[in-house]
Amino acid sequence: MSGSVLFELGLEEVPAGMVERASADLARSIADSLQELDLVFDSPLKRYSTPRRLTVIVTGLPQRQADRREVVTGPPKARAFGDDGKPTPAALGFARKMGAAVEDLEIAETPKGAYLSCPRTIPGKSVAELLPQLLQKAVRGLHWPKNMYWRPSRFRFIRPIRWIAALFDRDVIDLEIEGVRSARLTFGHRFLSEGPVEVESAQGYLDALKSGFVVADPEERRSMILDGLHNALPKDCRLLEDDGLVDEVVNLNEYPTAICGGFDPQYLKIPREVLITVMRFHQKYFAVQGRDGALAPHFITVLNTAGDEDGRIRKGHEKVLRARLDDAAFFWDNDRKVRSQDRIPALENVLFQDKLGTYGDKTRRLQAFCAALSSIWPRLEAAELDLAAQLCKTDLVTDMVGELPELQGVMGGLYGREEGLAEGVWRAVYQHYRPVSLEDGIPQAISGAALSLADRLDTIVGCFGNGIQPTGSRDPLALRRLAQGAVKILLELGDRLPPRLSLKRLIEIALEGYPSGSLDAATAAAVYGFLIGRVRFLFEQEGLAYDVLNAVLAVEVTSVRSSFEMAQALSDMRKQEDFEALASAFKRIRNILSKQSEELAEIDESLLQEPAERSLHSAFRESSPQVEQDLSGGRYAEALSRMARLRGPVDDFFDQVLVMAEDEGLRSNRLRLLHDLSRLFLQAADISEIVQSE
Amino acid sequence: MSTPKTFQEIIHRLQEFWMDYGCVIQQPYDCEVGAGTMHPETFLRVLGAQPYKVAYVQPSRRPADGRYGDNPNRLYRHTQLQVILKPSPDDVQDIYLESLRRLAIPLEKHDLRFEEDNWESPTLGAWGIGWQVLLDGLEITQFTYFQQAGGVDLMPISAEITYGLERIATFILDKDSVFDLPWSPQHDYRQVCHRSEREFSKYSFEVADIQSLFSLFEIYEGECRRSLEADCILPAYDCCLKCSHCFNLLDSRGAISVTERAGMINRVRALAVAVARAYCKSLEPAQGEEQR
Repeated sequence: MSGSVLFELGLEEVPAGMVERASADLARSIADSLQELDLVFDSPLKRYSTPRRLTVIVTGLPQRQADRREVVTGPPKARAFGDDGKPTPAALGFARKMGAAVEDLEIAETPKGAYLSCPRTIPGKSVAELLPQLLQKAVRGLHWPKNMYWRPSRFRFIRPIRWIAALFDRDVIDLEIEGVRSARLTFGHRFLSEGPVEVESAQGYLDALKSGFVVADPEERRSMILDGLHNALPKDCRLLEDDGLVDEVVNLNEYPTAICGGFDPQYLKIPREVLITVMRFHQKYFAVQGRDGALAPHFITVLNTAGDEDGRIRKGHEKVLRARLDDAAFFWDNDRKVRSQDRIPALENVLFQDKLGTYGDKTRRLQAFCAALSSIWPRLEAAELDLAAQLCKTDLVTDMVGELPELQGVMGGLYGREEGLAEGVWRAVYQHYRPVSLEDGIPQAISGAALSLADRLDTIVGCFGNGIQPTGSRDPLALRRLAQGAVKILLELGDRLPPRLSLKRLIEIALEGYPSGSLDAATAAAVYGFLIGRVRFLFEQEGLAYDVLNAVLAVEVTSVRSSFEMAQALSDMRKQEDFEALASAFKRIRNILSKQSEELAEIDESLLQEPAERSLHSAFRESSPQVEQDLSGGRYAEALSRMARLRGPVDDFFDQVLVMAEDEGLRSNRLRLLHDLSRLFLQAADISEIVQSE
Repeated sequence: MSTPKTFQEIIHRLQEFWMDYGCVIQQPYDCEVGAGTMHPETFLRVLGAQPYKVAYVQPSRRPADGRYGDNPNRLYRHTQLQVILKPSPDDVQDIYLESLRRLAIPLEKHDLRFEEDNWESPTLGAWGIGWQVLLDGLEITQFTYFQQAGGVDLMPISAEITYGLERIATFILDKDSVFDLPWSPQHDYRQVCHRSEREFSKYSFEVADIQSLFSLFEIYEGECRRSLEADCILPAYDCCLKCSHCFNLLDSRGAISVTERAGMINRVRALAVAVARAYCKSLEPAQGEEQR
C-alpha cells in the first residue's frame, strides 16, 4: 500500500511577501531529499500555505526503500591469487573486511581490468524511519530574507515555530525542531476556531482546517478574494485592478472575506494618486472607480475573518481611512501654500547620500546634466527641462511626501500643475522616477525621460566613484534597479535619442557633474561595465540567446537600441549555413591576428599573388563600404547578409593561401587583409562568440 | 466582562491583567522619553540573562509630532503601555490576545492581524523583529522580539508589547478625536491634556532656545561619560535620555542640519552603547572581578 505524508510547520505570522517562496522552497527541498533516497512519490507533491503555516503533502510513497545491490571492489585479480591459485593476504584481508569467505567473493570485470569483488545487498530502510531527519533538514535549510532568534538556541528563523503536525499515513512522525515536538494536531483560525484540531491523515487535512476556518490552499483563497472583490463592488462601479495587492492579501489571510466601505465624497478633491496610495500602501485597500473611470468614494478591504454581520468591522476601517484622508487633505491644502520654487533652498538641508551631498547639490548636478543633454538633443526644450531639474526634488520637503514617500515625484508634478507650470515641466517632474520596475512604463514625455536618465546616471556614477557599488546580494541604494530603468529608457527611446548621445557620452556627462578629479578615470569604465550587465539582463528578458549577446556586447555599445536590433538580426542570421561557416572562419581570423603583434602596412595590391587572395580582397573592397553604410543606416540584417556572402571568398582564401608565408612582405600583406576584414566585422559584432550548432 | 467606559479604566484593566500574569507593575520613568522602550526597565532589563516580567504606563514625548492640540490623532505626548516578558514565553501571542479580551473586545467579531513591522531605534542601537497589530485596520500595538539593545546581542530574547493607549481607547470608546475620550467619568482627555499639548507644541516648535539646547546636549553628554567612569550606570543612562530629548527638541525646532543630524544620532547611540556595555559588565559574576 502506498503511503502519504502530511507535514505542517506552524509559525507565528510570516510576512506576506515571504510565504509563497518559502512554501515552494520547502516542497522542493523535501522532493529533492526523497529523490536522493531513491523513493518514488506522486510528483509534483502538493503544497499549501497561509501566514501561519507551511504544508507539504506527499502521496504515493512506498513503505520501504527498495533493497540496493552493491558491489565492493577489492584488489586486482592478478594480485588476489598467487601462482598456486591460493588467495594472497590482500584477498584474505579484503574478505575479512567484507565479513565474507574468500569463496563467496567474485571476479568483476571493470574497464580497468578484473578485480576481486564482493556483492552485497543493502536492505532499504523503512520510510517512517527516514522521514524525521529528512523533514528536520528541510525546515532547517529554509532560507529567509530576515531572521530572528526567539529562544536560547543559535537557530534563527523568520518567526518562531509554534507547532508541527507530521503524519505518515495515520502515524505521527516523531520529530522535534527547536523545542517543538510533532503531533497530529493543527490549529484553526485564531478567533473563529478554538483549541487544536486533530488531523487523521493527509487526506483529511484540508477539510479539517476548513472546519476551523482556515483555507490552506492559496489558490483557493485567491479565487475567494477575486470573487469577493467583485461581489462587494457597489452598483455601477469597477475595481481598480491590482494584481500585486491581490498577491499580498492572499498571504495576509487564512480566511479571506471582502467587504466594501465608503468615505465622504468631499475627499475626492484630493488627487487620485494620493487617494490610491493612502488606500493601497497604507491600508491595503482596493480602490474603486465609477463607469467614467473617476474614483468612487468607496474601497474594498479583505478581512481575515468569516464576515462582518453588524458592520462594525467596516465602521472601524472607515474610521481609520477617514483619519488618514483628513491628514492627506490637510497636506494637500497646506503644501500648496508654498510654491515649489520657494522650496528649493530647503533642499540644502536634506541629505541625499553621505558622500554625494544634499539634494541641493544633486539639484545643481541635475541642472548641469540637463543643460548638457539639451545642447545635443534638439527635441528637448532647454528652459523647461532646466526648470524641471530645479524643481524635481522639491516635493521631498512637502508634508505629503514626508507622510507618503511613495508619492515622490508624483506630488512635485501635481503641485507644479496646480501652480500653472508648463506641461513640459510638471510632467517631467511627475514622471522622473519612472520606470519604477522592469514592468513599469518609461516616462511618456521626452523631458521626463531625459530627467529620469540624468537622475539615475548621476546617482550611479556618484556611487561608483565613491566606492558604493552593489556586491552580490547587497545593493542598499538599489543601483541595479536604477540602472535597469536607465537602460530600459534608452532602449525604448531608440532613435528619439540624438545619435551623439552614446552610452559612454552619457556617463561622461554624469562624471562632469562631480568636482573635477574627485572621481577617478576607472569610474567611467566601471559604470559602463555595470550598465552593460543591465543591458544583457534586459536583452535576456527579451529572449535573446547568451552567445548572441556575447557577440553583440563584445563591441562597444553606443546605442542600446542599435545593439538590440543587431542582436535580433544576428539571432535570425545565425541559422543560415553561410553565416555559421563565416562565424567559424572569423574565429580562425581572430586567432591568427591575436598571435601577431607586428605593425601592418597598408595593403599592397601588387603583392596579392594567389587568385584566392585577390578575389577575397576585391570582394572585401566591394562590400566594405556597403556594409558600413548598412550599419550606419541601421540595416543590420542587410549588413550581416553582405558579410555572410564573403563566406565563399574567405573559405577559398583559407583553403588555397598560406597566411604565414615565408616571405615577410606576403605574410604581412595577408595579415593586413585579415585585419581589415576583422575590423569591418567588429563594427557589427564579434561573431566568433556565436556557438556553432551541431 | 463589560466594556470599559473611560481611558483610565482601560489602563487599569491592562495593568491588572499583567499584574495577574506575574509582572512587576512599574511606574512611568521620570525623565522625558520618546517611547516606553527607553525606560530603563526595558532598555537595561533586556540585557543580561536574568528573567524579568514588567509592565508600566509610559507617557512618551515626540516633540515633532506635536500639533498644538488641533489634530484629533496626533500628539506631542501620547501614552504607551509597555510590557516586557523575558524570556519570551511560547504562547506570548495568545497571552497578548487574552489581554485584549480583558478589554471586552470580542476578537471573533473583528478583523485582527499581525502584519510585519520590524522595530528599530538608531539612537539606542536597538532593533527587533515583529509586527504591528491591526484591529479593523487600526494599529493598536507594536509587538517585537528584541534582538539587540545598545549594540549588544540579546539572549534570552525578550518579547516587547507596546500598546498605543489612545488608539485603543478611541477604538473601544468609539471616538473620532482623542480629545473627546472620557479620561474619567468626570473629565475628558481635552480637559486633562489639551493645555499641555498646546503649550509643549508651542515650546518645541517656537520657543525652545536652540543654543541652550545644544549646550544642554553637551553638558549631559559629558555628565553621562563622567558617571560611567564612576560606575554610576543608571545615572549615566538618565543623561543619555536627556541628550536624546534635547536632540528631539532641536529636531522639531528645525535646528539640526543634515551633517549634524547623523553625527548627533551617533553621539547618542555611542552613549547608549557605552551604558549597555557597562551594565552588562556589571552583571558578570563576581568571580571575574576576583581574577582581575
